Amino acid sequence: NGQPPGKPEIIRCRSPEKETFTCWWKPSSDGGLPTNYTLFYKKEREKSYNECPDYKSGGPNSCYFDQKHTSIWTIYNVTVKATNDLGSNTSAPYYVDVAYIVEPDPPVNLTLEWVDQAYAKYLLLNWASPPLADVRSGWLTLEYELRIKPEEGQEWEIIFVGLGTKYQLFSLNSGVKYVVQVRCRTDNGEWSQWSSESYIQLPKEFRLKD
Amino acid sequence: PICPNGSDSCQVSLGDLFDRAVKLSHYIHSLSAEMFNEFDERYAQGRGFIAKAINSCHTSTLTTPEDKEQAQQIHHEDLLNVVLSVLRSWNDPLLHLVSEVQRIKEAPDTILWKAMEIEEQNKRLLEGMEKIVGRVHPGDIGNEVYSTWSGLPSLQLADEDSRLFAFYNLLHCLRRDSHKIDNYLKLLKCRLIHDSNC
Repeated sequence: NGQPPGKPEIIRCRSPEKETFTCWWKPSSDGGLPTNYTLFYKKEREKSYNECPDYKSGGPNSCYFDQKHTSIWTIYNVTVKATNDLGSNTSAPYYVDVAYIVEPDPPVNLTLEWVDQAYAKYLLLNWASPPLADVRSGWLTLEYELRIKPEEGQEWEIIFVGLGTKYQLFSLNSGVKYVVQVRCRTDNGEWSQWSSESYIQLPKEFRLKD
Repeated sequence: PICPNGSDSCQVSLGDLFDRAVKLSHYIHSLSAEMFNEFDERYAQGRGFIAKAINSCHTSTLTTPEDKEQAQQIHHEDLLNVVLSVLRSWNDPLLHLVSEVQRIKEAPDTILWKAMEIEEQNKRLLEGMEKIVGRVHPGDIGNEVYSTWSGLPSLQLADEDSRLFAFYNLLHCLRRDSHKIDNYLKLLKCRLIHDSNC
């Protein structure tokens, strides 16, 4: 007994650095039988379909396209086929251009430093772009956003930083322990996840707030 | 520095020219992406236009780098010429886009304004690029290669679905090409001004 498999679905494709990308699919019912999945893709200007080059690197139910298999500004038509002993079922086509699915990894090495000078006291934040992102050559341009709140507080204050990887924060309360995170995106892509949290305890004696 | 009459001694530096060009290309691409998304949400949902838009940009005859390796291996003079060719290929369609968008049923002013703004800024960017090319290799204003556009009749079709697809395809190609130009200029700026260490 058993049934042919249900129709699978491509659910998402993502590129972390506009050089490679991964697509994921969601299996449907397997009809009670062992079912395997084959992903096919066809690139704009190509006549024939190719099979997924790497089913492993992206984890379960995924296909990873390395640099050699990745073209930007090119529409990929992607489908996945579920097959068992009683038949097969193919997903609807999923169209994707890698230029528009870039979601970088979070920034790294976020450091917080309290600067106490005669003319100014402020919190200096520094971070680095995600290691995979090639910003040095100009291939990827990232903009950043940070958020900060008192450790015990509920409300985050979100600040759009723009292209830089450092920021000076002036309007903080003395004696408070703050938590900070930063994230990034390409000029028209998705925001990354927030970075891991960094904490700093500000000294008590200074007075900044008017 | 203000150049009273463009005297040589008071020229804008190549770095400043690139800064202006990158600001413009970034701006043009942002507008193009917004315009495409707005049109897509308003007129293209559920019509399957993307499947028909494959391989249908008038600029697809131009050879352009399509991954990082190609973009980094191409000589900067050739990449500058690619940018010029793509920019020139859009002069004509952008001109007609502005007039034809006004005929779309209930076309929001925001799409019309963006079309006009992009047409204007594309001309400015082309002028800037010609200055840059003139500076990078004097005496050469770059080859005159560009792709002709013959899409005006399709923007004027009586059948609404076909006409809307023609607009969708043009805006899809504009978003793509403005992104290419923006990306190539950022690469060139890093290579020529910052010694590939942006």
